[in-house]
Amino acid sequence: MVAGNVEVLEGGIQTTVQDYPGRPGMRAQGFFPAGAMDHFAHRAANLVVGNQPSAATLEVTLGNVALRFETGATVAVCGAPVAVSVDGEALPLWEGRRLEAGSELRIGISEGPGFRMYVAVAGGIDVPSVLGSRSTYTMGALGGLDGRALRTGDRFPLGTESGDAASGGGWRFRESARPPYAREWEIEALRGPQASPDFLTEQDMATFFGRTWRVDRNSNRTGVRLEPQLFQWARSSGGIAGGHPSNILDNSYPVGAVNVNGDLPVILGPDGPTAGGFLCAATVVHAAFWKLGQLRPVGDTVRFREVTIEEAVELDRELDARLTGTSLEQV
Amino acid sequence: MGATASAVIERQPAREGKPGIAYRYAGDRAVLVEYGEMEFDLTLNFFVLAVNDALGTWPLEGLVETAPGFRSILVSYDPLQLSVDELLDHLHAVHESLEAEREITLPSRLVRLPVAFDDSQTRQAVERYIHSIRKDAPNCEGGTNVDYIARYNGLADREELYEAVLGTEQWTAFIGFFPGLPFMFPLDPRDAVVVPKYNPTRTWTPEGALGLGGPCWAIYPVESAGGYQLIGRTLPIYDLAARNAAFRESPLLLRAGDRIRFHRVEEQELLELWDDVHADRYPYSVEEGTLDVGAYLEWLPQVADEAGKRRRLREQAATAAPVP
Repeated sequence: MVAGNVEVLEGGIQTTVQDYPGRPGMRAQGFFPAGAMDHFAHRAANLVVGNQPSAATLEVTLGNVALRFETGATVAVCGAPVAVSVDGEALPLWEGRRLEAGSELRIGISEGPGFRMYVAVAGGIDVPSVLGSRSTYTMGALGGLDGRALRTGDRFPLGTESGDAASGGGWRFRESARPPYAREWEIEALRGPQASPDFLTEQDMATFFGRTWRVDRNSNRTGVRLEPQLFQWARSSGGIAGGHPSNILDNSYPVGAVNVNGDLPVILGPDGPTAGGFLCAATVVHAAFWKLGQLRPVGDTVRFREVTIEEAVELDRELDARLTGTSLEQV
Repeated sequence: MGATASAVIERQPAREGKPGIAYRYAGDRAVLVEYGEMEFDLTLNFFVLAVNDALGTWPLEGLVETAPGFRSILVSYDPLQLSVDELLDHLHAVHESLEAEREITLPSRLVRLPVAFDDSQTRQAVERYIHSIRKDAPNCEGGTNVDYIARYNGLADREELYEAVLGTEQWTAFIGFFPGLPFMFPLDPRDAVVVPKYNPTRTWTPEGALGLGGPCWAIYPVESAGGYQLIGRTLPIYDLAARNAAFRESPLLLRAGDRIRFHRVEEQELLELWDDVHADRYPYSVEEGTLDVGAYLEWLPQVADEAGKRRRLREQAATAAPVP
């Protein structure tokens, strides 16, 4: 149990403490990094309240969250469109506001487009750092609040405010710098590590990048499940690794890999398995990874757009450039 | 994208006693480095661990982490600090610096762990599966996976299976999937056993369960879902709360390159050992040591005939066994 000045009145569907970039450096010990699934909205929310991008926020899935602040605090909510109120008065998304002691922040249920919201508080959510990060890692049951999602009655403390102008509230993230949310997503990816010609055919790769994929309802932080696809495969079987041609000798998976389990592609999320024996046909690039956090199970669709390594790095630079003070304006 | 799009960045042929190498894009923040062919050859894993050790001692700005697999290493990097070409130059230099496979000596600890075969917890996992997931799974007949594993491998009875588990040191090829989970393979090929995985997977497995999937053994570090056939249970191998001295430096007991030697205990004794572990009364048996790859490769031919004979029996039995 963690004591603190913020009380959870309503924990919602799945609300976890997340920071950025989570817990890198522990893959060889079986830990995926965890961290904010939409790292753009997380970083934007921190920027708006004067925090470092690494500060811990609350990652709210779909919504229905209520918090009571026993001390004054500056908050911002960024992400999927949703009704947010402070003591009954509307608080626009992407905007930092100073709350008085005793205020209640309420987040409704998001109708989309998008699926997750990030609540940043000036000073950050100050739960203990576990193995180098405050991020909740559901698979290892660690980090955040006892390694689990928030529940009614939980409390957590806040860190010390930066003293940056934005930490007093009254700043917003410019509309022009916000990413577009959609029901039909285009997600940039690099082919591989296991693609054509050795594992899949050219036709398979054309199908992979050409078709539209529906997002399955059983999608979460461990992975976004798509729909089955009967590939041609370049091999008749997985050989010694197993009967199905999607089998390979077990290897480490990159974050954002499109992992083909038999006929079912699953995009590995921040809490995914670190290793396994299925091939990965493509990998979502870092600059597009945030979109995985906004995919709405049931209804949303995905198309993958193939990019080169040079384009991927350029996209990353552009994204970082948008997450600076130039994207802030006074309310 | 034009015809130049390829997941393979570069290939190097095998030479000077070192395996061939393929460098593959794994997104824009990692490169998957693969060694040799897709063969079940532990020598490839020895080479992987030697490369991984060398990478750990050759610092490079922008290199984030390395994670071994059976015959590959996933190298994560920050492309804003380090280009993929610079990363490959670094990897080439590390590969150049290494000795041929036969010349390698790896640090390798010997870890001794007790195992209780067909214990009540693993039987409970099987029972739950029969009741809630699949009634007619051939691998769960009799409320246990043990008889199925024995039958699939053409072994006369459970005792022969247990002897295979106890008769060899298990090589920890890498850690992954869950925090702290070892992927282990028998160093003595005469004791190899193979089995298909669950279909569909199980929703509950007890902590410390010892399972087999394909040719690979694993210990479940936490209560979890799983797909490996269960044979019994050993001690905790992961403890964030560090209730035992073995977990004070790291929450993981095991690391890649460890050799595991199991010894048999009855379930009652295992349960007492669990209490002792949590009360910090049990000292885990961990001995520093090395694996001399050359000596190992020289020994292999001595057991090759016997291993081949057993493999043929196994393959024959497998064709007659139902698949889950």
